[in-house]
Amino acid sequence: MRPENYEAQRHPPSNEFELNFGPNHPGIEGNYALKVKLHGDVVVEAKADGGYLHRGFEKLMEQRLWIQNIALVPRICVPDPSPMEVCYAMAVEELCGLEVPQRAQWLRVMQLELSRIAAHLFTFGGHAATTGMYSTMYWGVADRDLILDLFEEFTGGRVYSIYNIPGGVRRELPDGFLQRISETLDYIESRLPDYDNLFFKNQVFVKRAKGTGVMSQEQALAWGVTGPNLRATGLAFDVRRDDPYLVYDQLDFEIPTEAHGDAWSRTLVRRLELVESIRILRQVVAALPDIAGPIRAPIPNPLAWNVPAGEVYTRVESSKGELCYFVVSDGGPKPYRVHVRGPSSMHAVQVLEKMSVGSRIEDIAQTMFSLDACPPEVDR
Amino acid sequence: MSQELTHWLDDLLEEIEGIKVRRKSSRRVRADVPADALPALLELLQGRAGYIHLSAISCVDWIEDDEFELVYHVWSYESHSLVSAHIRIAREPGVYLSVYDLYQPAGFFERDIHEMYGIHFEGSPNMEKFILTEWDGPPPMRKEFDSEAYVNEHLNWQEYNPPWLQELIAEGGGVIIPPEEQRFSRKKD
Repeated sequence: MRPENYEAQRHPPSNEFELNFGPNHPGIEGNYALKVKLHGDVVVEAKADGGYLHRGFEKLMEQRLWIQNIALVPRICVPDPSPMEVCYAMAVEELCGLEVPQRAQWLRVMQLELSRIAAHLFTFGGHAATTGMYSTMYWGVADRDLILDLFEEFTGGRVYSIYNIPGGVRRELPDGFLQRISETLDYIESRLPDYDNLFFKNQVFVKRAKGTGVMSQEQALAWGVTGPNLRATGLAFDVRRDDPYLVYDQLDFEIPTEAHGDAWSRTLVRRLELVESIRILRQVVAALPDIAGPIRAPIPNPLAWNVPAGEVYTRVESSKGELCYFVVSDGGPKPYRVHVRGPSSMHAVQVLEKMSVGSRIEDIAQTMFSLDACPPEVDR
Repeated sequence: MSQELTHWLDDLLEEIEGIKVRRKSSRRVRADVPADALPALLELLQGRAGYIHLSAISCVDWIEDDEFELVYHVWSYESHSLVSAHIRIAREPGVYLSVYDLYQPAGFFERDIHEMYGIHFEGSPNMEKFILTEWDGPPPMRKEFDSEAYVNEHLNWQEYNPPWLQELIAEGGGVIIPPEEQRFSRKKD
């Protein structure tokens, strides 16, 4: 409900009051709101309020050709758009029985991991800002920009790269690109100790984050939480390893976990994942020169492409958790139905509502950022 | 998934009457069940086979069959496999049971489907609007809802021709493609 249409409810005299937290608030990720009821400064009830970023993607996709939707899907999640493209492309490929060439699969992994690093740096920035540490935010956004420069060079787009098409990827790497990606990785790796000193070891952050927004492993499993938020409760589950796609089963990487399930553990898991993503990217950079061959499989005329009837459920691990596409084709030139299961649809709605209760008003922003909630993928 | 486990799952699923199981790949199983048998199937999968994670509930509107298809995707952290249970319910009155008691994530998906398709889930904790708070039209994801027709009926098209664009065109720059020549615009059938 938009604030201008909100009618305050009349309550009997009490110490409780209502507060609209968002949709325009620096402590809220994206355009999203929490309607909280407070007793003093302790939250006694919280209701998530979405829809500010609803753009009707699922309906739009039913009205567009299979190939056109590739330009649409990355916009569903602004901070981490690449997994959207890959997940959709994988669904179309599975429906058509298309075999994606090896080189394209490695290029996709490269794109996904770069996107993960960019998304995590962005999240740290936002999270640090909720504890008043704006320097980390400037650093995070500035370092993310270096990844965006790489995206611009090899895909043509900084944020929405639209690099994938069903069957493979659109472009071959520019000359000398692997050298530049290595340099950027070296630089980001050299920055990690600085981030540790500025943010992760900073007592302002540590004392605020430890014990804030705690969820046990049983709760996380019951609430359907996935991704870094689940791994922060001690369960080493990652779609990349446990339901492998692309060439992740040929790569060597660890799945970092933490035990406490609080804001501190969640942020630490993401910090450790940066190291693993850099490790994966180094393997990709080393492997790519030896993987020759085409970058996409031949596809029919994309403007007159009838995808065989059927349904498919594809999953990838995005920076926020398990991202799934359920795609149904009736054999026509457009999808019959596309359902996007954004990972944040769990931790940004029911979980956030439950975790906010009992916390203090100043911790809501930190809880939301530590969950890495992404409202656009909830609203779709 | 090992061969042994595969057989074990198949045997277990056969306990449900009227079930049709199709193995799509080593980690994907499709099960079609009558609508009234779904809660029993989910209870079986969750309680005895370890499928504790409800990944999503998807809805498909099969308007020509006058039916909605509901698909429950459940994942097992132990056997690393996903079972998609498909059911069909009548479009009218479009009522089904909530599975919130078994899987809490269902609360979000059922609310979403209620909002977008108008299906009512009995026993679901919250059927309030979430995304389309100020929308009083028909549920928009239903196939009979034509968004383009709705726009033509309720909104006025305006020519977008601001001064800066006119100047640009006068200088010979800018490209204007009339709608009928746009390759990707949707034509009415």
